[in-house]
Amino acid sequence: MIRMEGVSKSYDGGRTDAVCELTLEVRRGETLVLLGSSGCGKTTSLKMINRLVEPTGGRVLVDGTDVMETDPIALRRRIGYAVQHVGLFPHMTVAQNVSVVPGSLKKTRGDIDARVDLLLNMMGLEPSEFRGRYPSQLSGGQRQRVGVARSLAADPPIILMDEPFGALDPITREQLQGEFLELESEIQKTVVFVTHDVFEAVRMGDRIALLDEGKLQQLTTPAELVEHPANDFVERFLGQHRFQLSLLTRPVRSVMPEGDAGEAPASRPETFIPARGSLIEALDLFKKTGLATIPVYRRQEFLGHLRKKDLLTLIAQVLGETGSGGC
Amino acid sequence: MSAEFAALILRHSVEHLTLVVVAMAIACVLAIPAGILLAWCRVRAIVSTVLGIVNVVQPIPSLALVALAGAVFLYLRENFGMALSTIGLLPGLIALVAYAVLPVLRNTFTGIRQVDPTVIEVARGMGMRSHQILLSVQLPLALPVIMAGVRIATVWTIGVAALAALIGTGGLGNLIFRGLSNYRVSLILAGAVPAAVMAVVFDLLLGLAEKWLTPRGMSRSVISR
Repeated sequence: MIRMEGVSKSYDGGRTDAVCELTLEVRRGETLVLLGSSGCGKTTSLKMINRLVEPTGGRVLVDGTDVMETDPIALRRRIGYAVQHVGLFPHMTVAQNVSVVPGSLKKTRGDIDARVDLLLNMMGLEPSEFRGRYPSQLSGGQRQRVGVARSLAADPPIILMDEPFGALDPITREQLQGEFLELESEIQKTVVFVTHDVFEAVRMGDRIALLDEGKLQQLTTPAELVEHPANDFVERFLGQHRFQLSLLTRPVRSVMPEGDAGEAPASRPETFIPARGSLIEALDLFKKTGLATIPVYRRQEFLGHLRKKDLLTLIAQVLGETGSGGC
Repeated sequence: MSAEFAALILRHSVEHLTLVVVAMAIACVLAIPAGILLAWCRVRAIVSTVLGIVNVVQPIPSLALVALAGAVFLYLRENFGMALSTIGLLPGLIALVAYAVLPVLRNTFTGIRQVDPTVIEVARGMGMRSHQILLSVQLPLALPVIMAGVRIATVWTIGVAALAALIGTGGLGNLIFRGLSNYRVSLILAGAVPAAVMAVVFDLLLGLAEKWLTPRGMSRSVISR
């Protein structure tokens, strides 16, 4: 879907490298997180995908075509864009802000109105209440929702998000992350997501590309990144968070006894752990319910029972492995 | 007040008003597009040169500028034999326009440049063309600032137009200067009072226009709600 081939961006006639020979591929339907501390080149890399920044070396291919040979306007209309500072137009209502995008694709008024309502509903904003409001009348979280709704307005196959939840308080942030994950699993977009927050990266990403000083350090799944850091930098970047990250990235399945699924309940009970859930979620659930075993389900399919004892053994083992450095 | 005197005031007021409106119209037509171009201009040297000229011309006393316009016309006639009248409408009008252009140009430039760059970048990122960004984002957001420039320029022009009577441009200044040289208070007032009223009324009206043109969503009443 998106390929970056040895892409570089330098400023000041080659003296400063923002991005240095970056090669990576974003697969159709996946969420790739560009992770790194500020100044690592992640935002520049993102902007080279929709040509807000033009590479000084290498090629960026979107759907197999070099972006430098594509009309930037047409390119950008196929790519949704949401940023941290939201950039809502302060003089337009919520509805106008969302419809500016499909508006430029020449749809009829009725189509646009319906689309706006759909998107607002999707983002948990009641259209009748929010359509006519101005950005100045919204809370930070609401603005961010409108920003995401706007990036989805033209139903683009690709969405670029630059720390879209960065300016929010932790609670709103987590809530929006969760909502976006759910939404993303329904609408199946190819998402490139920039963040400096490793927990956000692990939560949102199918794969993570960790950058430092414009160079790709490691590109892999969250679990792999945490379990097998490729170099010292990656290890240092994860730092004292490795233990927590391990608990987040190891799926519950890895703790379950092999083969023997045990007796399946007649129907899915109230309390169950989703197969993709993390060890932390499982731990929370044990704590909340006080149960000794909890069934694990992949949607409606029973996979087996998770025993609290096994979970705790594994957690102790992870603690040993990661050395819980610095703790 | 005799009917004759009232007619005199009216005639000069209309003359004054016409002068101001024509000068402002020309100034806006020149300065707003110029301000937009300047805001778009990526060449720093051009931008700083133009703004530099504006900043140098601005503090020149209006009387000196009016006199200068007359002097330029005089010079052209004496040295190049051009058939120009040093007195009359044209030199005064030119001085007025030159003076009014400055605040409008500067405010147009500032108004457009002050639009949040993130907003512009997002607009670009979602595939808006430059002219769409200008028309539906930059100009609406800059409009109150541009209008403030027009308001300042208009109020100034009403004042400068009174001085332009010195080089025979006409208007209420005529009455004032005639009254001054003949020690006739009634004539002075006949010129000064309408000019003052005109300035206050225009300031008020354009202030309202400014408020009215401020996009909803950016005005205080909406924000505080």
